[in-house]
Amino acid sequence: MSTKAIESLSEDTVRRIAEERGEPEWLLETRLDALEALETAKLPDVIQTPGRRWTDLEALDFEQLVDPLNQSDTTERAGGDDDVVVLPFTEAFDEYGELIEAQFGSVLAPDENYLTALSVALFTTGTFVYVPEGVDVEDVTVRAEMSSRSLFSQTLVVAEESSSVTILESITSADDDVDGDRYFSNLVEVVAGENANVQFGSLQNLDEETYTYALKRGVTDTYATIDWIESNFGSKLTRSDVETELAGDGSESQIVGTFFGTDDQHFDINARVWHEAEHTTADLVTRGVLDDVARSVYEGVQDVGEDAWNTSSYQRENTLMLSDDAEADASPKLIIHNHDTEASHSATVGQVDAEDLFYLESRSIDSRTARNMLVEGFFVPVLEEIAVDEFREDVTELVFERLQ
Amino acid sequence: MSSQDHLKETDTEARFEFKKEENSAFKSEKGLTEETIRVISEDKDEPEWMLERRLRALEQFQAMPMPTDWPEAPDLSEVDIDEIVPYIRPDIDVRGGVDDWTDLPDDIKDTFDKLGIPEAEKNALSGVGAQYESEIVYQNMQEQWEEKGVIFCDMDKAVREHEELVKEYFMTKAVPPSDNKFAALHGAIWSGGSFVYVPEDTTVEMPIQAYFRMNSEGMGQFEHTLIIAEEGSEVHYIEGCSAPKYSAFNLHSGGVEVFVGEDAHVQYSTVQNWSKNTYNLNTKRAIAEKGGRMEWISGSMGSKATMLYPSTILKGRGASDNHITIAMAGEGQDIDTGAKVYHNAPNTKSTIESKSIAKDGGRTNYRGLVHIADGAENSSTAVECDALMFDNESTSDTMPYMEINESKVDVAHEATVGKIGDEDIFYLQSRGLDDDDAKQMIVSGFIEPITEELPIEYAVELNRLVELEMEGSLG
Repeated sequence: MSTKAIESLSEDTVRRIAEERGEPEWLLETRLDALEALETAKLPDVIQTPGRRWTDLEALDFEQLVDPLNQSDTTERAGGDDDVVVLPFTEAFDEYGELIEAQFGSVLAPDENYLTALSVALFTTGTFVYVPEGVDVEDVTVRAEMSSRSLFSQTLVVAEESSSVTILESITSADDDVDGDRYFSNLVEVVAGENANVQFGSLQNLDEETYTYALKRGVTDTYATIDWIESNFGSKLTRSDVETELAGDGSESQIVGTFFGTDDQHFDINARVWHEAEHTTADLVTRGVLDDVARSVYEGVQDVGEDAWNTSSYQRENTLMLSDDAEADASPKLIIHNHDTEASHSATVGQVDAEDLFYLESRSIDSRTARNMLVEGFFVPVLEEIAVDEFREDVTELVFERLQ
Repeated sequence: MSSQDHLKETDTEARFEFKKEENSAFKSEKGLTEETIRVISEDKDEPEWMLERRLRALEQFQAMPMPTDWPEAPDLSEVDIDEIVPYIRPDIDVRGGVDDWTDLPDDIKDTFDKLGIPEAEKNALSGVGAQYESEIVYQNMQEQWEEKGVIFCDMDKAVREHEELVKEYFMTKAVPPSDNKFAALHGAIWSGGSFVYVPEDTTVEMPIQAYFRMNSEGMGQFEHTLIIAEEGSEVHYIEGCSAPKYSAFNLHSGGVEVFVGEDAHVQYSTVQNWSKNTYNLNTKRAIAEKGGRMEWISGSMGSKATMLYPSTILKGRGASDNHITIAMAGEGQDIDTGAKVYHNAPNTKSTIESKSIAKDGGRTNYRGLVHIADGAENSSTAVECDALMFDNESTSDTMPYMEINESKVDVAHEATVGKIGDEDIFYLQSRGLDDDDAKQMIVSGFIEPITEELPIEYAVELNRLVELEMEGSLG
């Protein structure tokens, strides 16, 4: 076993969670299987180079962080339209039990790693989003506020043939008196049916005593599109994995990421795409800023399978360093098994351009303001990729806050 | 270009893979034990300290795991050290290399004639060392360089004749045996290789070359190269390697250490054409002082699996590094190669250019690390990787790692992967070229930015090797 056993965790704990929520038998079994998987499951892979481990997940003390029976959150869910189902699982089982049973865990295996197994065994919040065939909705929002030591969230999105949905989730910390370190776990599965279009935006702004683990993965059917926007501003340490499996011919995915680290924040940001079918397209775009002694770690993977004829795959990552004590590590990876591919990636790390700064100062803008303008400008290429106005404004706002 | 006639030979068997009877004066047992190492050290009549270093490296080797936890690492499961003959001393009279090719036994002389080494020596080189199996058999340098104090001799001889220098630099500063399992293996059973010393402000105008030839089945070659370039000096070292193909595996695990003094300039060029049963697992590292400049130029064409990441530690202010890498993998080959650069001082600069070609089920991977330390301000690095793929049985990976601890830097990495453009082929065909010639021309163009950095003889050689590989696949 790769990490310390959590003594307070037993079969009994898991049964109590399931019972309190009135869950069907299959889900209890799934939770118990996940609990059992903890004995052998490993922590997610972390990049290692000679003498260095980019993120130290081993250091997480789950005995301290995990308090399974006292999870608490306030979550507002809105569908904006009667045709779409946006419910907590507990309210969805009666009507959509079979659909949930069929799709739950179909994209993310609960025993994939230690953190997913822990999350499936213990989740008490999250959302089921169901978009029936042909339905087109733009305003699904899920706003969650965490108010306990630990919180495990599980989300399942099922978008049927030719449907289209935009989902915005946000997670913040409540002003309450939980002292010390906290842990938030967020698993999201997206099933995009034929010709479906799912846009999933996420804004994480938890307080800086929280450790966050997010794993979001989608699978596309023929001609489907899954676009992700993953914005990370909060947390002490964030491990975020956003992934798309392009399983259907002609399917597409875009993964847009932003982060802004201050103080001693640590972001471990990962974007991955697997091209498994013909004529698929992927575009991975991440931009981040680091100030103070913040640190970022980025891995981007473009994996093109043997059968992925006529693939187009692009990746760009740029990190801007505002402080001399910050650190940025990056590893964009190409794994190409089919030659009928056009693939590229690029990554840069640098500071605010001295000439740009000089130009603005020569226009009598003070240097602090000039720098801030350039940082805001740095985010523009990713902001432009965000189609939802409200979300773009939220991100802009958070960037602005951090520059003050 | 009449001297290049031998390069026009199109049969790779005749060119590189011909075999000679095994004819050794001393051959160790298979496998690696303390006893083997004592026997090798004794046969070489080494000082006690070198034996001690070997034994310590052996301990480290035994304690270290195989590099199997790397993402997408080449399969080394076949590499069983107990099946390797680590040391074969060829049957020649003069230890440390004769300085006249005609003094060599016929089979060995014929080998190097076929490889074109004596011819190249006459035309384009300042000096040549030639290794056959585990030892240098020929060693010569033009007198004018000797007069200037340049030393170019075989490594075994250097241990005896330049003991203080070797003792100070040999696997102590650049490549300690603890670096990785194969560096430890190398430290335990190294044999042969070159020692190069270039005094202050001396420019060795024509390149010096070492050629490494493995002839016997199931052997391991572990030559060590140590280059010390003093302040303001300049030298270009070229190494070539090849072996005939056998059904059992061979192992090549060389060690290269380069010390680039203040404002010195060292270029290290390798054209590797090991047979496709050879595992090529090397550790090469340079340390560049203030204003020093290191260049690694590598062409990896041969071997079954290669794991090679020449590294440069930019230790002094204003030091610079330039990596140029070409890798080509055909059927059954896994060429995992790249570069490592540590920017440990301000104003340091590195550029890495990598070109790779994968075809017929082969795999190429660029695996590289650029580390910029805190305080290495005004440093810059630019990495560019381009890969060409011929078919969907092949694999082309790109795995760069960047660790940036300093904000006043300029860091850029770019990579592309693609197939040969149908339009390009169509255009060339419309100009009367057939499909094969068109593809060859496109590949030559693809690697040209790199071949043009090489001395003409080697550019021609590299191009010819690429053509041979292409014919193998297309013919």
